[in-house]
Amino acid sequence: MRRLGKWVVAVPMAILALATIYPLIFTANVAMKTRREYVLDRFSLTESLHWENIATAWNSVGMARYFANSLFVVAASVFLLLWLGSMAGFALSRLPFRGSKALFIGCLAALFIPFQVIMVPLSRVMADTGLIDTYPGLILAYVAQFLPFTVFLMTSYYRSVPKEIVDAARIDGNTVYGVYRRIMVPIGRPALLSVGILDALFCWNDVLIALLMMPSADHRTLMVGVTSLRGQYTDNIPTFASGVLIAAVPVLLVYLFLQRQIADGVTAGSTKG
Amino acid sequence: MPTRNTSPAVRPGHLGRTVEGGKKERARHGAARRRGRSERLAPYVLIAPAVLIIVALRLYPLALGVNFSFTGDGEANGTAVGFANYLELLDDPLFQTALANVGLLVLLLPVAVAIPGLLATFIYLKVPGHRFFRSVYFFPAVLSPVIVGAIFNLMLAFDGPLNELLGTIGLGPVDWLGDPGVAKFAVVGVQIWATFGMALVVFLAGFATLDASLLDAARVDGASLRQSIWHVIIPSLSQTIQFVFVTTMIGMLTSMFGLLYVMTSGGPEGSTYLPEYYIWIQQGQMNRPALASAASTVLFLIMLVVGLLQISVLRRAGRED
Repeated sequence: MRRLGKWVVAVPMAILALATIYPLIFTANVAMKTRREYVLDRFSLTESLHWENIATAWNSVGMARYFANSLFVVAASVFLLLWLGSMAGFALSRLPFRGSKALFIGCLAALFIPFQVIMVPLSRVMADTGLIDTYPGLILAYVAQFLPFTVFLMTSYYRSVPKEIVDAARIDGNTVYGVYRRIMVPIGRPALLSVGILDALFCWNDVLIALLMMPSADHRTLMVGVTSLRGQYTDNIPTFASGVLIAAVPVLLVYLFLQRQIADGVTAGSTKG
Repeated sequence: MPTRNTSPAVRPGHLGRTVEGGKKERARHGAARRRGRSERLAPYVLIAPAVLIIVALRLYPLALGVNFSFTGDGEANGTAVGFANYLELLDDPLFQTALANVGLLVLLLPVAVAIPGLLATFIYLKVPGHRFFRSVYFFPAVLSPVIVGAIFNLMLAFDGPLNELLGTIGLGPVDWLGDPGVAKFAVVGVQIWATFGMALVVFLAGFATLDASLLDAARVDGASLRQSIWHVIIPSLSQTIQFVFVTTMIGMLTSMFGLLYVMTSGGPEGSTYLPEYYIWIQQGQMNRPALASAASTVLFLIMLVVGLLQISVLRRAGRED
């Protein structure tokens, strides 16, 4: 493209960038306003930072509780996903055994079953086993949902690890489990990081699975909490915006620092598939 | 062989015990022959937890759901009713709307793929500020649909900022979320806003594999940008384009629940229903799990058909070139 052409394109792209970022800036600004300020002029920059809106959302609406619930559930789910996913990925990529190929294909097929398709029978299975409305139940639902993806990416990653490394470790007297622990886990760190961040985002951002698996109010995750804000604070927009901001900030931080890893995880499936 | 290798192999010990405990026992009592057997079983031990979870909580429910869909609800719970649920679905205006909206999504799909494709092309061609654009565009993709929906509830409110902005240039106001003819486009627009960054990043990964000399050659031959896109970029990236088509469609069919739940609750007048929302309502609100299962099965079939159709269409288009 010619030099001038590039600038002609850059202008609409800049406008689009503004349209992408503005809704969040608007929300953050509203979160810092008083109700009066908001009603008088919703666009103006807030005159002073009213952190008390955040405090209200955090304390009296119960966002603190929901935040803690989400943190716990996401941490446990991601830990299990990475652990089970890396073991399976190691076995599927570097250990020849009967049925390995069929299991990998089965795992790929499971990747294409959306949650909506199995949510009715799954909630019945969870109810029958007494896991509904419990933390282990929700964690297990998340692990089941994102395990095929995790196994798939870990298998692809471990396929790029030279076989010689595994063989050498075996000759040195390591058992298969020793190879997993001493070689595959440390060597898989970049993939574990990038898959782990994506799994964490998926679990943190989910609302459907949490709504279905955790009906009672004090088991709510943060996203379910945000949906309940809407009904309670229709006339108090700044508090509503504060709640939204609380739920968005952790993701924003992750994005700012780990953007590359997120993009790597997202694109891994496209180039290998 | 050093025995320390048989101590629990997985660092997070407390959870590792169930799997590794048995192995430890075996190794302690075992001779070399035993040890060989444990080694041969190792791949199965490593993969067993993942397989068990996937089979029990994904594949088994899929079969169970299809089975449910042929049984009755309420008093007829558990008895076979043949295709009654499916017939009821086809008669239900809400489900008809949901299917019509799926049709709308399919029609809008090329737009949802072309926008990130074009933007990725410009970023690849190093428009001024391309690095900045890339990170800004990608950023909504990491936000939860719930957050996005909540933010746009504010932006699109009848007395909200967008209408105020339109008012200053003498347009509107538009009842973005309250007018049945407008709301579905508003929701799809927000979905595209929230996800185009994801497709953009996938496109850019595709561009990374593109042979730059082809583009240079086209430029030397005097090809315009449009010709370069049509004759060089699209054929070279057909794999990536296929992938984006399929993943965008899957995203539209399965990840809009949060938006619908927060922005419209399926309204106004049921105009923003999608199959996934219908399933949720029938299961959670109406207590009709068998009917919901039938809708699930239909959704699954739609996804299967759409996926296969798109792949075959794109294959043919690719071959003609």
